[in-house]
Amino acid sequence: MHWLAYQLLHGELPQLSSFTNFHFVVYAIPCFILLYVLMPKKLKRYYLLIASYAFCFLINGAMVIYLLVSTVSMFGFGLLLDKLQTQMKDALAVTEKEQRKAVKKKFVIKQRVVILFAILLHIGTLVVLKYTGFFVTNINRAITMSGGTNLLTVPHFLIPIGISFFSLQALSYILDVYRGITKADRNILRLALFLAFFPQVIEGPISRYNQTADQLWNSPQVNTQSFTFGVQRIIFGMIKKIVIADRLNSFVALIFNDYAMLDGGTIALGAILYTIQLYMDFSGIMDIGLGISEIVGIKLPENFERPFFSKTISEFWKRWHITLGTWFRDYIFYPVSTSTSMKKLTSSARKKLGNHYGPLIAGSIALFSVWICNGLWHGADWNFIFFGMYHFVLILLGNILVPLVRLVNKKLNINPENFFYKLMQILRTCLLVVIGELFFRANGLMNGFHMFGRIFTDFSFSSLTSDLLVRGGIDYLDFIIAGITLIGIFAVSVLNEKKISVRELQTKPVKGALVLQWSVIFILAIFLLVFGAYGVGYAEVYPMYAEF
Amino acid sequence: MDKLLEILQDINPDIDYTTCEDLIDGHRLESLSIISLIAELEDAFDITIPAAEIIPANFNSAKAMMAMIERLQED
Repeated sequence: MHWLAYQLLHGELPQLSSFTNFHFVVYAIPCFILLYVLMPKKLKRYYLLIASYAFCFLINGAMVIYLLVSTVSMFGFGLLLDKLQTQMKDALAVTEKEQRKAVKKKFVIKQRVVILFAILLHIGTLVVLKYTGFFVTNINRAITMSGGTNLLTVPHFLIPIGISFFSLQALSYILDVYRGITKADRNILRLALFLAFFPQVIEGPISRYNQTADQLWNSPQVNTQSFTFGVQRIIFGMIKKIVIADRLNSFVALIFNDYAMLDGGTIALGAILYTIQLYMDFSGIMDIGLGISEIVGIKLPENFERPFFSKTISEFWKRWHITLGTWFRDYIFYPVSTSTSMKKLTSSARKKLGNHYGPLIAGSIALFSVWICNGLWHGADWNFIFFGMYHFVLILLGNILVPLVRLVNKKLNINPENFFYKLMQILRTCLLVVIGELFFRANGLMNGFHMFGRIFTDFSFSSLTSDLLVRGGIDYLDFIIAGITLIGIFAVSVLNEKKISVRELQTKPVKGALVLQWSVIFILAIFLLVFGAYGVGYAEVYPMYAEF
Repeated sequence: MDKLLEILQDINPDIDYTTCEDLIDGHRLESLSIISLIAELEDAFDITIPAAEIIPANFNSAKAMMAMIERLQED
């Protein structure tokens, strides 16, 4: 704690930047766990809440204010909905059956007004903070193009870290109360803990109230097995982040910033490396967050399920950033596709177009809504909107072509379960994902198109020189270390894909299972310390998804 | 139940709905089939299926769907 004491004594506020921050790993996590273990059972929940708010404060002071406003407002909206629902039940109980629909409708409208305010407050804040600059910039562009000179001032707001994540989590709570999936929480501290729990507040996973609120409030005791698994997962996540993602960071940034001087092959390599970096960074941070939670006996929802084994883009998005995908599915896709007008459309279209293409019209409109929101959620820029539309088109095409692919496979006698057929599908999906990530990472949409075009017009690796590697802060040894680590992670993924759990395997020996597990931890920790990209020559890399 | 099985057979005839219990979790019914199914169930059983009911537990088997339909008919 001397680091904290020193900085407080010298009038400086200590600052954390991420889970992989040196201070966080060496001081904060062990202190947090030790105090959690020592804390009396009844006080653990309050300790978790205080620790979560302290973490948010050390990351970004403004975040605490947004979290407090979100918590207090959602608590109030929840109680209001609860009151309206109780009034509706009482009213329905004394109403004749024929009039029930009208009574119900009256109360549903009132509840929808409450929901509208909750959405306006949360999405409105997000829109103002994240998108005002984007809108004003585009208005200025239009003014300039039409010959005007009176440009508007582009505002630059300080966007609190994690706001895109905890806003969706808060909205899911109030929407679930409205839908009757969960009861409104009458304990503001429980709701506060659900929204602020620190292992998930920066980058998710975006939990549902029913998944984690009670678990957190009941704050289980630490047990040996969950502690061991948790520590293993934290170190595994840190290896992904520090050994691979952070090592590639400077080189990837150089390729995307200086692409104009590079050939297509190097740009393609940059897109592949960026995809690896993003996956290792995001899933690594998830492993750390889920690992910390597991230590204290909390099970957060998984956010990744080996996405690069997906055979289609649609499947990829069911396995990548799962909690965001399910959020969009439950609160946008199904409500849009099963709205009254869409249901009528589906019924009539099915009669004319059949079972496959009939529901596709309503499905496409809902899918479009999901992907425009997905693109905008990632950021306010044309390349993010393009990223969303790119995946919308790919998923739509995939759906349109299903009957044709089935027919061709039947005619050519191709078995879709054949290993090489599935391998080709996986490789195709990976290629499409990498192209999407190129546009996602590009510094603007036009730069993305230039980079993509260069892959076809100037494909060579002549600019991939030793000088470029030096400027990118990387050498051949770095590639070897990252490559070997990736192979290790890939091997674990293959086993998991075959339903062989590596962690379960370690518990098999009747005697010495714990020794085996801690030996694995020791080896992984040594590997991390020796091969981690930290210290001299490496800058700490902030979790990439926290910026969204 | 027969009416429900008829609707399901019409949407995807390749599934044995009398025994299958993982229609959603096993990815046997995709989102497009669910969209069709909801529209058809509402017409056939004179019910409204709110978005909150569109969860795997209500669509994993014909039995679960029937239970949901009966519950919504009582509302």
